[in-house]
Amino acid sequence: MSKDYQLRAAINQKLIEMGERERLKELLRAKLVECGWKDQLKAHCKDVIREKGLDHVTVEDLVTDVTPKGRGSARLKHNSRGVSVCVCVSVSTLCLLFSPLQLSYRTA
Amino acid sequence: MKMEEMRLSGPDNTKLEALMQDIYSELVEDACLGLCFEVHRAVKQGYFFLDETDQESMKEFEIVDQPGVDIFGQVFNQWKNKECECPNCRRLIAASRFAPHLEKCLGMGRNSSRIASRRLASNNNMSKSESDQEDNDDVNDNDWSYGAEKKAKKRKSDKNQNSPRRSKSLKHKNGELGSSIASESYKYNYNTGISYESLGPDEVRSLLTTQCGVISEHTKKMCTRPALPDAELESSSFDIPDGPSLMSRLQWEDSSDISPADSASSKASANHSDSRRPKKKKRPALGLSSAGGSGGLAEGGGGMGGSQSNLSLMTKKKKPKISAAFISSIYDDMN
Repeated sequence: MSKDYQLRAAINQKLIEMGERERLKELLRAKLVECGWKDQLKAHCKDVIREKGLDHVTVEDLVTDVTPKGRGSARLKHNSRGVSVCVCVSVSTLCLLFSPLQLSYRTA
Repeated sequence: MKMEEMRLSGPDNTKLEALMQDIYSELVEDACLGLCFEVHRAVKQGYFFLDETDQESMKEFEIVDQPGVDIFGQVFNQWKNKECECPNCRRLIAASRFAPHLEKCLGMGRNSSRIASRRLASNNNMSKSESDQEDNDDVNDNDWSYGAEKKAKKRKSDKNQNSPRRSKSLKHKNGELGSSIASESYKYNYNTGISYESLGPDEVRSLLTTQCGVISEHTKKMCTRPALPDAELESSSFDIPDGPSLMSRLQWEDSSDISPADSASSKASANHSDSRRPKKKKRPALGLSSAGGSGGLAEGGGGMGGSQSNLSLMTKKKKPKISAAFISSIYDDMN
């Protein structure tokens, strides 16, 4: 499994180097704003803040509250599929580069 | 190599997908974190709740979504049929026509001055054509010519109010008045105060020996072209036979009409000038100062003495419509 992990790490690194990861990130952000995911999540944040009191809110609170909801709703959004396709494409092309690694993994 | 890859991609498909899912979730989490940081910063800086106000105001400015009404709740055609009272003329004007009406009514705005000057010009033309009909009376002659001059002068000043050429024309006027010899060949005297009626015979003589002196019919201006030193003119070039008798006739005192028997005289003059044009003979200016104070005579003097070449050259260059009324009147006498 470490190979798997290595593979993943290698792909990540490759993505960052190429600037592809950044591009994918921006693409995802744009899509999420477009479909209203960001505003929904912000409204949820407002509720949390009103609940907790304006002065005592911390980042951790927000993160722990908001992130799972965000993750879940992003998966449901249709637009994010476009991003996931892009991710898929770039990852798979990179995988081909690393196929020797996989090959060695299989044989191991 | 390829075959191996193909074989690999089959079983690794799920892995590939898992990998892809992981990377995708990482990206989503990054986005969420970004949002959290942004909100937290807004809260701590105090601008997070800025877009909210109290409930009443929120209700008041809520977006309206009814048919026939815009998002502010305003009706589209509400003021279309209303009428407003103009403060100037006290009339009831439709709302959509109110602003242009006000522009014209108060005399401000771009178009109103243009329209007004155009109206004045057309009025002048109308009254001028009316007065033309009265022209046959000798009695009215002085009045008419003076009036026409005044109107022409007024029209000219009216036209040139805003044009950039105005200063140029003023300069021109000041410079030209006294000059007898000019480098440029053809100029107009802008001072319409000179009319041959007002000048005495000596002044007219001196004027006409140095300058052309023909008064244009349209603009009522005197040509200040310097009289050229001429060679002798063949008498055959003239259609008019007698020199001395002509001279005697030119010594008329009373003002003959500068009458615009326009079409007739201008045709006649055109014919003559056409016949004379090829013969560029020049003639010394006759002592036409004897020509009395009439504009027509002066024209005659100018046409005759200032020589036909001047006339032909003038018609060539700028073609002012010189009414050679004197020529027709001379013919009348001779026939």
